[in-house]
Amino acid sequence: MLNEIFSLIFHVDFFFAIFRITAPILFAALAAVVAEKAGVVNIGLDGIMLISGLFGTLFSYWTQSWLIGVVGAMAIGLSLALMMGFFALKLKTDIILAGIAINTMSAGGTIFLLYMFTGERGNTSSLTSSNILIPTVEIPGLSSIPVLGDILSGHSVLTYVAFILVFFTWVLLYKTSVGLQIRAVGENDHAAESVGISVLKIKYIALGISGILSGMGGAFMSMYYSQSWNTGVVAGRGFIALAAQAMGHGEPVGTMFASLLFGFAQALRTKVSGIQGVSSNLISAMPYAVTILGLVLYALSTINKAKRKKAQEQKKD
Amino acid sequence: MSNNEYVVQMVGIAKVYPNGVAANQGVDFNVKKGEIHALMGENGAGKSTLMKMLFGMEQPTSGDIIVNGEKVNLTSPTVAISKGIGMVHQHFMLVPSLTVAENIVLGMEPKKGAFIDYKKAVEITEEYAKKYNLHVDANAKVIDIPVGMKQKVEILKALVRGAKILILDEPTAVLTTQETAELFKELVALKEQGYTIIFISHKLKEIKQITDRLTIMRAGKSMGIYETASITEQDISRLMVGRDVVLTVEKEKAQPTDVVLKVKDLEYTDSWNRKMLDKLSFAVRKGEILGIAGVEGNGQRELVEMLFNLNVPDAGSVTVNGTNIISMPQSKIRDLGVSLIPEDRMIYGIAASASIEENIMSDRYNKKKFNKGALFNMDAMHEESDQLIKDYLVRCKNRNQAVGMLSGGNIQKVVVAREFSADPVLIIADQPTRGIDVGATEFIRKKLVELSREGAAVLLVSADLNEVMELSDSLIVFYNGKIAAYFEDTSMLTDEIMGEYMLGLKKQTDEEIRRVCHE
Amino acid sequence: MNNKRMKMFEIIRGAAAILVALLVASILIFICSDKPFEALRYMLISPIFSNGSISMNSIYTILAAMTPIIFTGLAVCVMFSSNQFNMFGEGSVMLGGFIAALLGIYFSTGTYLDIIICVLGGAIVCGALMYIPAILKVKLGASEMVCSLMMNYIVMYVILHFLLNVFADGSKGTIQTYPFAATAHIPALVPGGSKLSWGFIVALIFTALVALFMYRTRWGYSIRMVGINQSFAKYSGMKVGGIVVLSQVIGGILAGMGGAIEVLGRFDTFLWRDLPGYGWTGITVAILAKNNPIFVPIAAFFIAYLNRGCTMMATYCDVPSEMADIIQAVVFLFFAAEQFLAKYRQKLVVAGAKEEIAQKNAAAEGGKA
Repeated sequence: MLNEIFSLIFHVDFFFAIFRITAPILFAALAAVVAEKAGVVNIGLDGIMLISGLFGTLFSYWTQSWLIGVVGAMAIGLSLALMMGFFALKLKTDIILAGIAINTMSAGGTIFLLYMFTGERGNTSSLTSSNILIPTVEIPGLSSIPVLGDILSGHSVLTYVAFILVFFTWVLLYKTSVGLQIRAVGENDHAAESVGISVLKIKYIALGISGILSGMGGAFMSMYYSQSWNTGVVAGRGFIALAAQAMGHGEPVGTMFASLLFGFAQALRTKVSGIQGVSSNLISAMPYAVTILGLVLYALSTINKAKRKKAQEQKKD
Repeated sequence: MSNNEYVVQMVGIAKVYPNGVAANQGVDFNVKKGEIHALMGENGAGKSTLMKMLFGMEQPTSGDIIVNGEKVNLTSPTVAISKGIGMVHQHFMLVPSLTVAENIVLGMEPKKGAFIDYKKAVEITEEYAKKYNLHVDANAKVIDIPVGMKQKVEILKALVRGAKILILDEPTAVLTTQETAELFKELVALKEQGYTIIFISHKLKEIKQITDRLTIMRAGKSMGIYETASITEQDISRLMVGRDVVLTVEKEKAQPTDVVLKVKDLEYTDSWNRKMLDKLSFAVRKGEILGIAGVEGNGQRELVEMLFNLNVPDAGSVTVNGTNIISMPQSKIRDLGVSLIPEDRMIYGIAASASIEENIMSDRYNKKKFNKGALFNMDAMHEESDQLIKDYLVRCKNRNQAVGMLSGGNIQKVVVAREFSADPVLIIADQPTRGIDVGATEFIRKKLVELSREGAAVLLVSADLNEVMELSDSLIVFYNGKIAAYFEDTSMLTDEIMGEYMLGLKKQTDEEIRRVCHE
Repeated sequence: MNNKRMKMFEIIRGAAAILVALLVASILIFICSDKPFEALRYMLISPIFSNGSISMNSIYTILAAMTPIIFTGLAVCVMFSSNQFNMFGEGSVMLGGFIAALLGIYFSTGTYLDIIICVLGGAIVCGALMYIPAILKVKLGASEMVCSLMMNYIVMYVILHFLLNVFADGSKGTIQTYPFAATAHIPALVPGGSKLSWGFIVALIFTALVALFMYRTRWGYSIRMVGINQSFAKYSGMKVGGIVVLSQVIGGILAGMGGAIEVLGRFDTFLWRDLPGYGWTGITVAILAKNNPIFVPIAAFFIAYLNRGCTMMATYCDVPSEMADIIQAVVFLFFAAEQFLAKYRQKLVVAGAKEEIAQKNAAAEGGKA
C-alpha cells in the first residue's frame, strides 16, 4: 500500500496538481492576509468567491473573452467587499456577521441571479465553451526541461498569477505607503489617526483589495478549475483560506506555504481515492486538523515568548 | 489682543463635555517663543483637556486660541500640525511592529516611484536625530526599543512634521531616572535651537530644573502664570494642592480595634520596568477609615489591583483577617467579606447593557437566598433590588432599566449599593466619587462613614484631597510607590502639609511611617 | 431613556429591515418575472392561504422546517451571548444526526426509549467536542472562530469516511446507512407528508427551557454577564473561563440535538453527504431574535415561511426559490447594523431626555408648592 502511495506521489502529475489546486486557495488566502493586516476579519471570502466566480463565467460568455470575464469577476469581488465595508464600517454591523450575511446571500443568490440573467438553473455548463476558459501557457525553455518542465509549465495564466501575487502582496504590504498604512491601521489605529491617516479609508482599501483577490480566486474556480460554474464550485475554499492565513501567521510567504499544504492534501486525496485501504476522506480532513494544531503551536509560542520576556526583565532588576 | 512675544495664547477657554463636566472654566494660558513652559496641576485639574484643545483633539466651548499672532480654529490634529504644533502623548502613538524610521514617516512617506523610499526614510530619521541630538536606531523595530527611545521617536515624529511648538504630556512618567536626565538635556538643546516646549508634569523637582515659566491649574481654572525662578516649591505646592470648598462630613471619633487588612512588603515592577510598589506595608483596622492620598500614578492603582487579585505582586503578602488573598479567585476574596468600589466603574463596576437588578446581583446571584433549586428566586431578587434602589436613592424608572442609561452618579450608586450591602468586613473604595454630582457624592461619603462606624474596615483611595482629608480617620500619603507619611489623626492636617508630602518635598522617618502597621 | 420607547424603536427598526428586504425582493421579481404580481402573491400569501382557504399542509411543512433551525438558533443564542463567535453549530448538526442514526441502528432497545437514547447520544457527543474550541480559546487565546470552522470540515470528512467505509448499506444505490429501528423514529405529529414530527414540540419546549436557563438561572445569567463585560464578570467573582466553556458546550448540545431530531424525525436512514447548512441559518435566526431565546421560534418561522413562499413561487411562477437567501441576507445585514436608523434613535433619546427634564422640573415645582 505504501509503495503504491509513494509511486503516486513521486509522479509529475501529482506535483502539477498541487499547484493547480493551491492557486484558488492562495488567491483567497492572500485576500485574507491583506484584510487581516488592516485589522478586518473577512469571513465573507467564500461567498465573494462564489458570486464573482459566477459573474466571471457570465461576463466571459457575454463578451466571449476570458480576460473580460476575469476582470469582471474582480470588479464584482471588489464591489461585494466594499458593500461589506459599508455595513461594517458605516452601519457598524459586526464584521463577522457582515461576512456571514455575504455567505448566506451567495448560496442561493447566485442561483437566482444565474436564472435571472440566463434562464439556466444551477450551473453554467451549457454556456461555457473552451474558448472562453482561462488559457494555459507553455513556458518556453522551461517546458522542455524534463520533470521540472512538466510540473511547472502548462498551468493556467491565473495559476502563475496567484504565485506571482504572493510577491506582489508582500511588496504591497512592505514596500508601498498604502501597505505601511494598512499595517499601521491594523496594529494601532490611534497612532495612524494621530498622523492624519484616515482609518476608514485604509480599511476600505484593504477590504477592496481583498475583494479583488478573492474575485480572481472565484474566476479561477469557475473559468478554469471546474470548467464551468455550479453552486458547489467554491466548496469552502474561502474558509480554508482563513485557516491558511492564520497558519501562515498572516504573512504572504508563510500563507503561501500553508496554502500549499492544503493543496498537497487535496491532491493526495484525489490520487489515493482509488487505492484499497486508504481513506480519501480522512486525508481530506488532515489539513484542517493540522490548522488547529498550527493555531495551538502558534498560541503556545506567543505565550512562552511573553513569559520569557517578563522573566528577563525581572532578572534585570 | 495678540502679542508678538507669545507663540501661543489661549484666552478665556471653557470646555464643557457632553456629560456636563466643565473641565476648563475661563482659562488663560500663554507661552513665549523659545521657552520651556510647565503646565502643572493634579489629575483632573484640566491640563490634559487644555492641551487636547491646543492640539485640535477637542474644540473649546468658548474662548480663543491664537498661534503666532493669528486666531486659529484647530478642528483636528492635522490642522494643529499644519500650524506647527506637535504633541507627544503619554501613551505612545507608535506602531510596534514597524521600524523607527517607518513610524517617523508614517502618513508622509518619501516615495521612489510607486514604492516607499525606505533609505530616504532612514536618512530623514538620522538627519533629524543628529540635528537635534535625539539618538535613535532608525532600523530597529519599535517593539524592541526601550521606553526612553520610544519617546525620542515621538519627539522626532513631531519635529519631522514641522512642529515648532512641542507639547509633552507627562513625559517623565514612564522614564527611569537616567532616561529623564537624558530627556532634559535634549529638551534644553531643542530650546536653544528656538523651539517652544510645553511640559505637563506635577513633579516639582523636574519643573524647577528645566522650565522658564509655569502655569498652575486647579479644578479647571488657572491659578496664574509664574516665573519658575521666582516661585518657591512651597508656593507651587500650595497653589496646586488645595481645596476650593471645604466640605465637612460629620462623624464620630473612630474606635479602631483589630487589624483586618494587612499588607506586608508588597513589591511590584510593571512592564515598563518601573517600581510601582516598593516594600509597601500598612494595616487597616476594624472601625476605621484609612485614607490613601497622593498624586495619581504613585502606586495607588497597582495596590488596589493586588488587593483584589486583578494583578499579582512580585513579592510580599496581603492578608484579610489572617487569610492570604494573593492569587485567590475574586469569588473567594468576596466570601471573606471584601468589597471593592473600582476606580473605573464602566470597566469593572457594571455591565452597561444589563439591567439595574442584574448589576446588583452580580456578586450574590449564587447565594442560596436567590435560588430555588436550579432556578432563580425572582421574588427575592426583586425584593432585594427594589430595597437597594430605595435605600441608595438610585434615580431610575424601575429595576429593569439598563444601567448604562443612568447618569454617572446613579451608576455609581448602583455599584455602591451592591458593594455596601454585601456585609463587608473590608471596603476598598477607589475614587468612589470621581466625576459624579454633588448629591450622589455626599450620599456615598455618608454611607462610607456609617459603615465604618458599624465596624467595617475602610481603605479609601482618592485623588480628591477634600474627600480623603475629611473622610479618613487616619491617612497615609503615597509617593513613588512608598508611603511618605502617616498621620494618625487627620484633624490637624492642612493642605500645605499634605502638598509637601504628596509632591515629595518631605518624607517622614521610617519609624513614624511604621506605626501604620499597628504591630 | 424610556424602556418602552426603546422597544418600540427596536420593533420599528426590525420592520424597516424586513421592508427593505422585501423591496429588494420585489425589484428582483419585477426584473425577472413575466407575472410579478402573481409571483409576489405566491411568495407572501400562498404559504398560508391557497385557493381562498387556509392550507394546513403548507403550514405543517413550515413548522417542520422550523424544527432544526430553532435548535441551531438557540445554540447560537447561547454561544453568542457569551460573545463567542463559534461556528461549530454546523458540524454539530451533522454529527448529532449521524450519532443518533448509528445508535438507532446498532443499539436499539426495541422500545421508544430509543429516541431518547439516540437524541441524548448525539447531543452529548457534540457537547463534548465543543470543549476543543472552547478550551483552546480560554487557555491559549486561539480564535474559536477559525478553530470551529476547521472542525466543521474535520467532522464532515470523518463522518463521510465512516459512512462510506464502515456503515454504508451496500444494497442501496445511494450512499446511506442501514435504516434505524422503527422505535428510534420520532413519530409524526400530524398525518400526511409534511414531515412534521413531535420534534417540533420538543423544539418549542427547549425554547422555553433555554429561555429559562438564560434568564432565570445562575448559569445563564453568568453567561450573559460574561458576554456583556468580561472584566465586570471577573471582578464580580465569576469564573470567566469556565463560563465561556459552558456556553459553547451547551451550544454544541443544542445543535447536536437539533441534528439528531431532524434525522430521526424526517428520515429513516442517515444520508447527509454534506454539511446541512442549519448551523449557518441558526446564526441568522439568532441575529433576528437579538440573541433572545423567546424570539427564536418567531425568527425561525420567518425564515421557514420565507423559504416556503419562495419554493411555492418557484413552483408556480418563473422565479427561482433561491431568492429566499437574498432576502434573508438583507434582513440579517440590517438587523445586525447598529447604526441603521441611528439618527432616528438619537432623536428619540433626545426627546426622552427632554421629557424627563420637564418631568423633573414639574416635580420640583410641585415639591416647592
